[in-house]
Amino acid sequence: MKRTVDVNIPLGPIHPCFKEPARVKCETKGERVIAAEVELGYMKKGIERIMKGRPWQEVMFLAERVCGICSVIHNMVYIEAMEQISDIRVPPRAAYLRVVANELDRMQSHLLANFSYCYTIEHETLGMYLLDCREQVMDLLERLTGARVTCAYIIPGGVRCDIHKEDLTFMLEALTRTEHELLRYTGMFETGPMIALRSRGVGVLTPEAAQQAHAVGPTARASGIAIDRRTEHPTYRILGFTPVVRHDCDNYARIMVRFDEVFQSIRLIRSALNGLPSGIIRGGGTCKAGEVRYSGEAPRGELTYIIRTDEYGRVAEIEIQTPSIMNIEACCHSMIIGADSIADVTSAFISADPCIACTER
Amino acid sequence: MSFLQSIKNKVRSRSIHVSYVDVGACNGCEIEVRACLAPRYDIEQYGIYVHNNPREADVLIVVGAYTHGWEEKLAPLWEKIPDPKAAIAVGNCPISGCCFNRRGSYIDPPVSRHIPIAAEVPGCPPRPTEILNAILSVRDSVFANWEAEHR
Repeated sequence: MKRTVDVNIPLGPIHPCFKEPARVKCETKGERVIAAEVELGYMKKGIERIMKGRPWQEVMFLAERVCGICSVIHNMVYIEAMEQISDIRVPPRAAYLRVVANELDRMQSHLLANFSYCYTIEHETLGMYLLDCREQVMDLLERLTGARVTCAYIIPGGVRCDIHKEDLTFMLEALTRTEHELLRYTGMFETGPMIALRSRGVGVLTPEAAQQAHAVGPTARASGIAIDRRTEHPTYRILGFTPVVRHDCDNYARIMVRFDEVFQSIRLIRSALNGLPSGIIRGGGTCKAGEVRYSGEAPRGELTYIIRTDEYGRVAEIEIQTPSIMNIEACCHSMIIGADSIADVTSAFISADPCIACTER
Repeated sequence: MSFLQSIKNKVRSRSIHVSYVDVGACNGCEIEVRACLAPRYDIEQYGIYVHNNPREADVLIVVGAYTHGWEEKLAPLWEKIPDPKAAIAVGNCPISGCCFNRRGSYIDPPVSRHIPIAAEVPGCPPRPTEILNAILSVRDSVFANWEAEHR
């Protein structure tokens, strides 16, 4: 097919707006973008290759380091997959604490994503407010697990440490404070006229295109597709969970879905902490041989681990499917095409919250 | 010390432009560098600006274990930064490769074999205060009296 292209504009790999190295190559005609391609390959470390043949204890720490932003969910999905293989039962108190750690991690990831978006559309004030909010959430995560990032909190048969009674009341109070502040910032985002100019109707991903590209997570939920793996998780079912869906399909909807999910996470943590069952936090068990495919909902969408272990608990085969690759595809096939200017390319790309470290591993 | 040098020292101590490059990390150190921007740590009160543009940077923060994709890209990037300049390795990955330094992985640590590193901040990941501390220590040890010592 013959096409008239004015300029090929590469964005990246070092770019002020990108957290991680990726190159977006845009073919433009005038200011309008007519095609885009995302070039990866700066972060390939071969984690799955070094995981093979190692005992599960080592793979647990490697699995966390697939992605530093959403390390808790990688830990959780890997450990729950190992538990399914080995028939290990989790005490109810530990199952609830897992949900608390996971939702705190989701909150900080979503707040970071929204900060990146605000930074990209040059609304630095709101970005800094959100980053300050994120620090408060990181404090709670540190109080619960003992580390800010890569905390290795979840282990087979339970969690590593219990929550103290004074920590519990502190956490509930801090969540109320954070919720109150976030309500104000969300209102600023919702009603800001300059934000609306940069966000509404930009980077439209129609439900059909989202389905075609197999978009997952908040990107798909902002296009009206109600997919969320948390609906199938037993603990989330007890706590009562319904996915957040919006139908605007643009940048604005994607950011608002993340804000809504942060409030939903606060509600989930509150109900988990209020109804926290008493008892032990570690049941114990032995990792056995078997094969399983297990999925969980990462902050960016569905995360799948396919694991085969041998009789000593070593990981013989492992495959990880991370959410970002589908969202990046959806981004460069639908969102970026037809963008009015190059400035909208970066904002649409960042609004899908691509995590290159997850994608390439 | 000449009068010109004292002016340069004074100006440079309150104006450091930082660029960061991820050469294959897990994102953990990356977001801790980003967290330095937060009002709690407030990197800009020390006159440090994170622009992420190598051509106007003074300090290059290197994060990650040096994957093969960066083989022909990191050294030219280092060349683009104007003198005086300093590179800081943040996290265990650029120092030793951390947990990725196993047989079969596609990394080539340490980063100091590829570009000169002025300071190292170990940790997986280090706290934002430690990163901030490293940048401030580089300010005094590398940028002060630079012309007098190198020209």
